[in-house]
Amino acid sequence: MKKVIVAIAAVAAIGFGASTAAVAYDGTKCKAEGNCWEPKPGYPDKVAGSKYDPKHSPAELKKQGDSMKAMEERNKKRADAFKKSGKWTYDVKKIQ
Amino acid sequence: MTKRLQMALFATASCFALTATTAIANDKLNELSKSNENWIMPGKNYSSQNYSPNNKINAENVKGLKAAWSFSTGLLHGHEGTPLVVDGVMYVHTSFPNNTFALDLNDPGHILWQHKPKQDPAARAVACCDLVNRGLAYWPGDGKAPALIIKTQLDGHLVALNAKTGEEYWKVENGDIKVGQTLTQAPYVIKDLALVGSSGAELGVRGHTTAYNVKTGEQVWRVYATGPDEEVGLADDFNSANKHYGTKGLGTGTWEGDAWKIGGGTNWGWYAYDPDTNLFHYGSGNPAPWNETMRPGDNKWTMTIWGRDADTGKAKFGYQKTPHDEWDYAGVNVMMLSEQKDKDGKMRKLLTHPDRNGIVYTLDRENGDLISANKLDDTVNWVKQVDLKTGLPNRDPEFGTRMDHKGKEICPSAMGYHNQGHDSYDPERQLFFMGINHICMDWEPFMLPYRAGQFFVGATLWMYPGPKGDRQNYLGLGQIKAYNAITGDYKWEKMERFSVWGGTLATAGNLVFYGTLDGFLKARNSDTGELLWKFKLPSGVIGHPMTYEKDGTQYVAIMYGVGGWPGVGLVFDLQDPTAGLGAVGAFKNLANYTQMGGGLMVFSLDGKGPYDNLETGEYKG
Repeated sequence: MKKVIVAIAAVAAIGFGASTAAVAYDGTKCKAEGNCWEPKPGYPDKVAGSKYDPKHSPAELKKQGDSMKAMEERNKKRADAFKKSGKWTYDVKKIQ
Repeated sequence: MTKRLQMALFATASCFALTATTAIANDKLNELSKSNENWIMPGKNYSSQNYSPNNKINAENVKGLKAAWSFSTGLLHGHEGTPLVVDGVMYVHTSFPNNTFALDLNDPGHILWQHKPKQDPAARAVACCDLVNRGLAYWPGDGKAPALIIKTQLDGHLVALNAKTGEEYWKVENGDIKVGQTLTQAPYVIKDLALVGSSGAELGVRGHTTAYNVKTGEQVWRVYATGPDEEVGLADDFNSANKHYGTKGLGTGTWEGDAWKIGGGTNWGWYAYDPDTNLFHYGSGNPAPWNETMRPGDNKWTMTIWGRDADTGKAKFGYQKTPHDEWDYAGVNVMMLSEQKDKDGKMRKLLTHPDRNGIVYTLDRENGDLISANKLDDTVNWVKQVDLKTGLPNRDPEFGTRMDHKGKEICPSAMGYHNQGHDSYDPERQLFFMGINHICMDWEPFMLPYRAGQFFVGATLWMYPGPKGDRQNYLGLGQIKAYNAITGDYKWEKMERFSVWGGTLATAGNLVFYGTLDGFLKARNSDTGELLWKFKLPSGVIGHPMTYEKDGTQYVAIMYGVGGWPGVGLVFDLQDPTAGLGAVGAFKNLANYTQMGGGLMVFSLDGKGPYDNLETGEYKG
């Protein structure tokens, strides 16, 4: 029974400690102007390598940028052709 | 004359011609917006006040308001926004597939033209919150290029239509649904530019704002919410009046690694513009993912009120309301411009913005100075107060969120105490009339990988009425309030059964109109909030009312069609209370009050309208 009580006390202490620590972040302690985030106590400053590492795939992260660039290039072809011909052609394969 | 001098004169003349032309377009829009007969942009005019000086319908006679005519859009999903009226023609937009109709107000039963785009149906699968669209933009033409109606499509296209014929004039790709980018916003015209934002932060879309030349469809500038300063588009003097808001290098420096590339900050709300400062204003949205533990840092410049130069897109100021958001308080809501004396009696150009985070902010729109920041309701609890000197919210850590923790009783919910509704400002009474959500939540984050084109949220939500609502029956989810931004006082406030999602219209007739999710159009006394008139519409409302005059008669129009985020459970028949990003649970009672169906209803005193003359619209066989 004593062991159980000690265990319960330990869990309670850890739980309370973590809870107290985690509620300390109020967003007002700034490292620099406009840069005021700080990790909540018990949580990492950087998630890379931690249990919260999202392990982003560089290939996935690149897809939006590639798509935006491709769209901008196609739109430019369309607008350039429109300025020459006065007719909007959406299908860039049909633009001479 | 030397060649150099000739060149210089030519360049000067070209610049003058460009300036003169764009000024003419702007002047024409301004002039059109002053007429009671027109409603040329979703917020009535560049100040986005949603206010009409027309007082033919007023507090004394509003009881005589009756249906004059109606129009079915033929679509069932949520209808946000409001139609436009220009020179006797009404332009009506719809939910996906984003059809557009032009109606002759002399005989609105006859559709002048209709544009029905064929879109990739896959766009539906990446829409965050029903299949809504918020409206249209109008450009008046210049003698060479025709007047245009400019629209967004859910599949990411921005399209310009000939306003007379409905034919496509140009069509550009502004987003790619394969990487989660969609468009739901009403575009915005300034001079000869069509401005448009982006949607898809729930899929990790990096937000951007783009200007296209209305005459050619050519991209003029593009800026992002996150990333390197050049791509965010910061002017040399960015935030020079408020350096404590942050200046350079923070679009990458407040993110870990390359997380800014999938960091959200899309903007799909409403814009406002001041021709005197040449600055336009809007808010960037939430960082991605919602799970805050996955993205250490302040995550700039998501959640930011911007003041950007219309010609270049460069930002003069940016104020981040919710640094390192933990609750999806996307900052895209309406920006309403006013000129008022501050507490010291100094006349100032102001911008007022009721934010999702439960704070209504008022800034000096010339330099970004924070004038006031008050709670939309005293039940807001994630923040104790906003420090007007630092601009920082002083959070109550008890209502923060983090991994391995279920946050409870957080107010507001992710829907915010205010969402996309387009509110109004009455300059005579110096009152803002705001439609409010009264919803709180529990929030539990989870880890997930980023895959382009897939949902990237990382939190489970349970939503329910706020403390003033009825938690037994899931009612009392909304409010309507009259607010003075200088004193911070609420002149009146009323509870509603559901969120007042669509926004309000104010008129000089001492009236505030708004629609409700359970399908009523209501009119209240602007001074007192007293309910003066209401009408039951065929379906719930998530758009805002507008008014126009035709042949001496004032009309009030509103689109109906329940849906949007609050209606997502109803329209997709969802039962899990955490589905629809938590909306299904909060609005589980909505289906007992309304059902789907999209259209428009138009009202006038005694129902006076185009068909009073029985010959109007008759077949002459």
